[in-house]
Amino acid sequence: MIGAPLPTGPAAAPVLRLQQVHKTYQLGAHRIDALRGVDLCVQAGELLALTGPSGSGKSTLLNLCGLIDTPDAGEIALNGISVNGLDETARTLLRRDALGFVFQNFHLVPVMTVAENVDYPLFLADVPLAERRERVAAQLAAVGLAEHARHKPDALSGGQRQRVAIARALIKRPQLVIADEPTASLDSRTADQVLALMRERGHAEGAAFIIATHDPRLTAQCDRVVSLLDGVIP
Amino acid sequence: MKTWLIWLKFAWQNTLRNRRRSLVTAAIAALGSAAILLASGFALYTYESLAEATARDSGHLVLGTPAHFSSDEEIPLQHGLSQVNRLRATLLADERVRHVLPRVAFTGLISNGDKSTVMLAAGIDPDSEFAVKGPFLTLTAGTLLTADAARPQAMLGADLARSLKARPGDGLTLLASTTEGAMNAMDVTVAGVFTTGVPEVDKRMVYTSVDTAQRLLVTDKVSSLGVFLDRMDATDSARQRLAAQFPELSVHSWEQEAVFYQAVRNLYNRIFGALGIIIAVIVVFVVANAMAMAIIERTREIGALRALGTLPRQVLLMLGLEGALLGSLGAAVGALLALAASLLLYVFPVDMPPPGRTTGYPLHVTIDPTLYALTMLAMIALTLMASLAVARKTVHLPVVDALAHT
Repeated sequence: MIGAPLPTGPAAAPVLRLQQVHKTYQLGAHRIDALRGVDLCVQAGELLALTGPSGSGKSTLLNLCGLIDTPDAGEIALNGISVNGLDETARTLLRRDALGFVFQNFHLVPVMTVAENVDYPLFLADVPLAERRERVAAQLAAVGLAEHARHKPDALSGGQRQRVAIARALIKRPQLVIADEPTASLDSRTADQVLALMRERGHAEGAAFIIATHDPRLTAQCDRVVSLLDGVIP
Repeated sequence: MKTWLIWLKFAWQNTLRNRRRSLVTAAIAALGSAAILLASGFALYTYESLAEATARDSGHLVLGTPAHFSSDEEIPLQHGLSQVNRLRATLLADERVRHVLPRVAFTGLISNGDKSTVMLAAGIDPDSEFAVKGPFLTLTAGTLLTADAARPQAMLGADLARSLKARPGDGLTLLASTTEGAMNAMDVTVAGVFTTGVPEVDKRMVYTSVDTAQRLLVTDKVSSLGVFLDRMDATDSARQRLAAQFPELSVHSWEQEAVFYQAVRNLYNRIFGALGIIIAVIVVFVVANAMAMAIIERTREIGALRALGTLPRQVLLMLGLEGALLGSLGAAVGALLALAASLLLYVFPVDMPPPGRTTGYPLHVTIDPTLYALTMLAMIALTLMASLAVARKTVHLPVVDALAHT
């Protein structure tokens, strides 16, 4: 389903809503309009693929959805509450509590064990230790890495590392997970497994996913596909 | 586990990422700490030794007339103390006072009949002086002065004795101006020859008894009284007490009389202070450089941690702790090195050859717990601040920029 209309009505309260979002970069003497009036609505539990050619504004949109960048114009609302005007600390705390991230290069902390990496968001959120242990064990079991809990990320394959990243993203039960090319560094078979895992865990945890990808096999398995072209959703 | 312990653990794990770099950084901090501790310990030992030597030489307190400390004398003992025995008895009644030693300082000539030369003389109490002061000079020939000698005696510095070809038992003549301004002479027997280790003193110094000096100068006065207390740290309180008790006199502490001690202390404070600053700057640069490299390498990881919801101050804490851990490790190893070196110097003594002296003094390094604690704390604080300073910029980098860092 490409370019589907935004759901409306009380039954479809969006996790994330972007309205007329603009973002411009200054690259030397050049002004680049990365996003030009983008509207986007992401529903709870939805697996949304964000596609588009290089330079279309995918990464910019993903950064704005992940609250790690701010728009020049337009409004971004998380759970119906506008995040425009929030200072960096408030945005950080919002990311900590409501968002998960899966990066293309995993970005696991190499000095931490797999369990410590997955535990990190709970530690940041001051979750009691006993509960953390329980949830980490359950999450690792869910992604099939229980036996690797004490391993360092370096000892894992690419697919296993991405599974750790997914576990880390979902451990705090976020409403939204931002995944930037999560399968780009993986072979096709592993990529399928990772996507299946994201779908399964996302549905289990009730988290929506925004997945930036070039991979048509991946988009085919998402609930909805949004394409960007020259900073707009056609 | 407490939150800060987890950050500490995380910081420790990060220091182990590049072990060689961390080892070199900690080693520099260790050498810096050891150098500061050894230099400061040596300075402390020197201060303590000089303080003790000065107090032993002059007494913890010196009593004299106000003019004795402020004006030059036109005639011998012009500003001297009279009624010394009564004063001495009063002083000895103080519970902190152990000994009171009179001193008659004068100058004149000393002659063997063929040759005369200038002398700096001191009239002392033979019974007490050597017993109280201990081995402040080395007897190279003869004996010490005795109070009950049949004839007036004198002890000569080694170079002076050599100049006058005088040996124990030989007769010499002391010449000096009396308190009336006339010249007077007195024959004395050489009791002994000594060396203080300072050539300038050994060339001119003569010790005789207070009685002999007073007879030569035709007076019953003394120049000053040296007051020896039971404890060095009782000096200030005793000084205030005696100053109140004898308002017509001046009471100086050994420190006020110790020109050499003050000069050495000022010099060492400057030298070792500058050394400490140089070491601190080197350590700060080394730690800052190591941390800067570590932080640049981990910029994307820092961006990812920030994206996950880590607050800038939490990242700053983690990076600051990394630097502080390297500093702590370095400071601890440095303290152990300094301790070992200080103890080794007691087992295998090394003599320092001081300028202007013929005899050396042992190189000892004071082991002072306060000094160790302060140095270690300073090292940790320096490394912490160096880390925070270099981490600050990266920590506050926009998350997007940090993640895109190449």
